[in-house]
Amino acid sequence: MAGTGHAQLRDRDDVLLRVKDLVVQFPAGRKRVVHAVSAVTFDVVEGETLGIVGESGCGKSTVARAIIRLVDITGGEVLYEGRDLAGLEGEELRRVRPRLQMIFQDPISSLNPRRRVRDVIAEGLAVWGDDIGSWSRDRIDELMDAVGVEARYGARRPHEFSGGQCQRIGIARALALDPKVLICDEPVSALDVSIQAQILNLLQDMKRRYGLTVLFISHDLSVVKNVSDRIVVMYLGKVCEIGSTAEIYSHPAHPYTRALLASIPEPAPTVDVSEGDIGDELPSATDPPSGCRFHTRCPRATGICSEVEPVSEQVGGADHYVACHHPVPVEISAR
Amino acid sequence: MAEQVAAGVPLLSVRDLHVQFPTERGTVNAVNGVSFDLYEGKTLAIVGESGSGKSVTAKTLMNLLPRTARVSGEVTYDGKDVRALAAEKVKHFFGVQMTMVFQDPMTSLNPVKKVGEQIAETLRYHLGRSRGDALEEAEELLNVVGIPEPGRRVSQYPHELSGGLRQRVVIAMALACQPRLLIADEPTTAVDVTVQKHLLDLLDELRRDRGMSMILITHDLGVAHGRADDVAVMYAGRVVETADARTLFFDMRHPYTEALLRSIPRIDDPVHHRLDPIPGRPPELVDPPDACAFAPRCIYAQADCLGGVPELSGLVGLHRFACLHPTGTERGMAAMSANRAAGVTAAGLPVAGSGGGSG
Repeated sequence: MAGTGHAQLRDRDDVLLRVKDLVVQFPAGRKRVVHAVSAVTFDVVEGETLGIVGESGCGKSTVARAIIRLVDITGGEVLYEGRDLAGLEGEELRRVRPRLQMIFQDPISSLNPRRRVRDVIAEGLAVWGDDIGSWSRDRIDELMDAVGVEARYGARRPHEFSGGQCQRIGIARALALDPKVLICDEPVSALDVSIQAQILNLLQDMKRRYGLTVLFISHDLSVVKNVSDRIVVMYLGKVCEIGSTAEIYSHPAHPYTRALLASIPEPAPTVDVSEGDIGDELPSATDPPSGCRFHTRCPRATGICSEVEPVSEQVGGADHYVACHHPVPVEISAR
Repeated sequence: MAEQVAAGVPLLSVRDLHVQFPTERGTVNAVNGVSFDLYEGKTLAIVGESGSGKSVTAKTLMNLLPRTARVSGEVTYDGKDVRALAAEKVKHFFGVQMTMVFQDPMTSLNPVKKVGEQIAETLRYHLGRSRGDALEEAEELLNVVGIPEPGRRVSQYPHELSGGLRQRVVIAMALACQPRLLIADEPTTAVDVTVQKHLLDLLDELRRDRGMSMILITHDLGVAHGRADDVAVMYAGRVVETADARTLFFDMRHPYTEALLRSIPRIDDPVHHRLDPIPGRPPELVDPPDACAFAPRCIYAQADCLGGVPELSGLVGLHRFACLHPTGTERGMAAMSANRAAGVTAAGLPVAGSGGGSG
């Protein structure tokens, strides 16, 4: 793509979140700007888990932060239940925020070290108590129990817990407000391998128990495959490929997706390991390449790739969209 | 400790290494009796989670521990006792014969010095090169580690390079004095997968071309599987299992190795595959009980597992494991069936009546 286009949007009644042509830019001094997210479009239907993958600097975390307005949106729309969050300010924004909650990569630094974990979890409820209904010690105990932290430890402070326990507390805090959408930004990256599976299973359980829609951001392709129904692959602020998880992993069509799948230590069987040999210099996001942003590293690039930005198109007949002038034909990749 | 299997003299031989750190909470037993051999031209991966002692082991080998650390055991390099090297010799041993690459290249590089100068510094200090020669060699080294336009890069500062290139500079620095042993401590943890592949390919190639030996410290089982000849799995400061990579990943005996492999999502697992996590968390290293450290989390645990620390079986160099009821053996199967029938292990861990499976 790394390109533009809306072909991947679904015309369904149960679309909960629709991100359309989202642009986020940060000033970089001397009148230059970082093009962190450039015309990103995707949607999430109710009850779905959407995975966003890509390497550092691809804009995946910025997309997540923009959706809940932790960073300012430069352009485009973020429609939540049909309302554009990008335009909301003040009280209106405040009212919609409990519906979208987030958990972060570093479980320890995302909790206030000076507060008891019970108060950390209860804080949102204390703020929103009048609007969301009564809350009580029982509700906190129930949440702690649900995430697997014993309620009798509620008076302890975050530093007395391990990283995995802190991530559980972070999840309880996010769930306290009864959100519809849970945004997970690299939720297991900082955890030991033996703990990762505990948290991933917990997220699945919580999703089922509380009827959540999940946005799952990660650089780990195996983790994303495990949790996601649908996947967005991003590169340098653009969307490369979108599709159902099964499609993306069994018939990866974008050369960048294939490079990622070929680079992991135990490469996916659907790609050739040599496809991972793309250069290791990520172009600058202050001066992104013309045309397709991936053309500087792409093994399939031709003249058109540096001139014309590809627009996403459906490939195969399935839920699978790719923005590339020379996608790998799905039949061949299925070998 | 155990004898070694005859196969020439190992380049590096570690026997019964112990490292303790006195802290306010008590003595931390970071490494508890680690032994292994590393032969010329081979790669040994040391795999473990945080607190397993893998990095402390590496730092001990490199003589990088704080003064407060209490170390015992033998480290023999090329037949000589490394820990008894005279101060004069030490100066030109570490960083020359044996070098190390760390996880975060930014902490290994001086931010206010050009990368060429930093590499040249090593050459001047250890090999006594003149400034001009050293700079020329530095440029050549940047070329060897696959940095494009080395002539321009030598006079750049670390912040002008990407994370992948910085790590290549650190590798170039480590290679400067033609080491025979390179210790890489999580060398690719801070970089993206496409860069990781290139760096691991580079290390492989250098090892092959130069006949270098390598110790690869990693938490990533995939990396260990793809890149190592031999693998040692550490848990709570001990090696709990060690074997050639194939045996370790496909015919493991230690329940921790098995559980660890089963808990990670794999790229060829089906979507929404339910993961098999390891219950509980790693033990405290202060005042460890006299028992198998993994027993509280182990579905095979029996009463005898709580009665003492199991020894690593067999001869150094062969498949060794420290377990009384190893997975994939009759003893292991019997232990598992008994625990299933009881619904609980000897250490009090609940076990489901079915599911799981033998190794």
